[in-house]
Amino acid sequence: MTMPIQDQALSLTVNDVPVGPIPVPRGTSMQEFLHEWLGLTGARMGCGQGICNACTVMVEEDGKVPREMRTCITGAHWFEGRRVRTVEGHACEEADGSLTLSPVQTAFVEAFAFQCGYCTPGFVTAATVLVERLKAAPVPRDAVEAVVTEALDHHICRCTGYVRYHTAVRDLVLATPGLVTA
Amino acid sequence: MRKTLLAVAGLALGGAAFAGLLASGALERSVVSRAVETPLGADQIRALAPRGAAVAAAADCYACHTARGGAPWAGGMPFETPFGTIHATNISPSPEGIGGWSRAEFHRALRDGIAPGGRHLYPAMPYTSYRGMTEGDVDALYAYLITREKMPVANRPNGLAFPFDQRWTLSAWNLLNLPAAVAMPDPTRSDLWNRGRYVAEALGHCGECHTPRNLMQGLRGEAALTGAVIEGLEAPDITPAGLARMGFAPASLARFMGTGLSAQGGATHQMFEVVHYSTRHMAQADLAAMAAYLFDRDTPGAEADPAAPAAAPLAAAVSGRARASYDGLCAGCHGAQGEGIPHVSVALRTNAGLRTASPASVVRAVLAGLPAQTFPGGERMEAMPGFAADLDDAALADLTNWMRTEWGGQASTLSPQDMAAIRAAITPRHAARD
Repeated sequence: MTMPIQDQALSLTVNDVPVGPIPVPRGTSMQEFLHEWLGLTGARMGCGQGICNACTVMVEEDGKVPREMRTCITGAHWFEGRRVRTVEGHACEEADGSLTLSPVQTAFVEAFAFQCGYCTPGFVTAATVLVERLKAAPVPRDAVEAVVTEALDHHICRCTGYVRYHTAVRDLVLATPGLVTA
Repeated sequence: MRKTLLAVAGLALGGAAFAGLLASGALERSVVSRAVETPLGADQIRALAPRGAAVAAAADCYACHTARGGAPWAGGMPFETPFGTIHATNISPSPEGIGGWSRAEFHRALRDGIAPGGRHLYPAMPYTSYRGMTEGDVDALYAYLITREKMPVANRPNGLAFPFDQRWTLSAWNLLNLPAAVAMPDPTRSDLWNRGRYVAEALGHCGECHTPRNLMQGLRGEAALTGAVIEGLEAPDITPAGLARMGFAPASLARFMGTGLSAQGGATHQMFEVVHYSTRHMAQADLAAMAAYLFDRDTPGAEADPAAPAAAPLAAAVSGRARASYDGLCAGCHGAQGEGIPHVSVALRTNAGLRTASPASVVRAVLAGLPAQTFPGGERMEAMPGFAADLDDAALADLTNWMRTEWGGQASTLSPQDMAAIRAAITPRHAARD
């Protein structure tokens, strides 16, 4: 069935930068928009079915903990007016142009958590959402193991980096003041 | 005054006598013949067991008598009833199960609802339906179950409040709700129809979920198969009119029961388990017979599915908002035109769930998601994520109303409050089914 392509203006904020309005064909996925319109290819195409979560980005809302959203099965226009953080938006750019990795990214590098790196943007997103969640609502020390598992559980890694991802996030949570109660 | 006293005393005596009669079991009407008092020989059991496997599949014993992740046939599966939680029992041949049950005791449990020692079964065990099973099929089932591996797993206690924990009271329930006799084949109907009735009513016990219940939780025979609410979801109307409304014809219904998938969608929630553990293992002939019976036909119908209903009218503002939600959250998998993706996600434009009276099944899937499902022949459907955090009740009402009018062809004016009620009934168990 062929349908005429219908453009619809799209405006949103990506990594703190306002984008648009840009005419984007209706039915375009968010992932395609990030890759083809903005040149941000960090949100990876894995399964295209919302299962592997290599494509997730953070949706940021005032006064709320950020949440993860899959970009492969979510339409670009669903993000109209929203604030989005992709994996490209986690490190800070210093005055001299160098980049400082986020605590989660640093933890993954130090733990040699990933091998091929294809799934890493999704794991960075999930772990960062968890850290932000724990800042707002810390959990007891003995619950950390389970909370980390639950937060990363839906992400698939085919190099079987699960243990190192898990260890990296667990150690980061335990070492960061304010994320764990007594 | 004396007359009143006498009347009260008379009533009390009569009541006590009646209760005594009930408790003694004198009012129970057994359909089990004396012939089964003779035990089956070892050779007979060996010969009958393979057929018993097919009977067990058609009667869907496993789905209830095996806890998810538990030992096979060892019971423990919980059931939420209006009176409390009931746990299915161990029916493996261990001492905790049916080990030591005689052939006759097994027959009485299955068809009269009375276990050895006169212990009444709760009607969560569908003995009201199994009552119609033939002696030969019950023998085969006994032979199959008694030759399974023994599972020494203790039965879990039920969580029933007084007086529902008093098993003897079921004697009264049986008097009122258990048919005295069983349906005999109707000579005016075809063998196909009669076999279909036996498969659907006695073995498959469709009515246990699809027939509404009265206040006592007895099946309302006059409203048989017209649909009922069970564990917060609608078991839809599966009368010929109800099936046609969902878009089924006999052939597609048989396909759906045999594979769990058809143009009408995939079996979800409790019905997925029925297909997974029971109907997919049935013989093609039995599926065709069941479809013929449920459509009240004497011959296998070959007609195409009824045409899709025309879209019902809906305010443009509602469809505009709903379309935006659909394009944003649903179309990635279900397609811009609701066409679905083979082996990934079901089509919505022909989906039976949008044509049923209750929106609960569709709304619960949208909110809580669905687990990945495997179907016969290597077929599968991917897991569906839940969208509870992405859709508020107003957006959900718009989306549901739009899908039900656009593809379900029915007027739909569900309110955000209706959505909130369905949302409130969701428990972690619904989101995390294996």
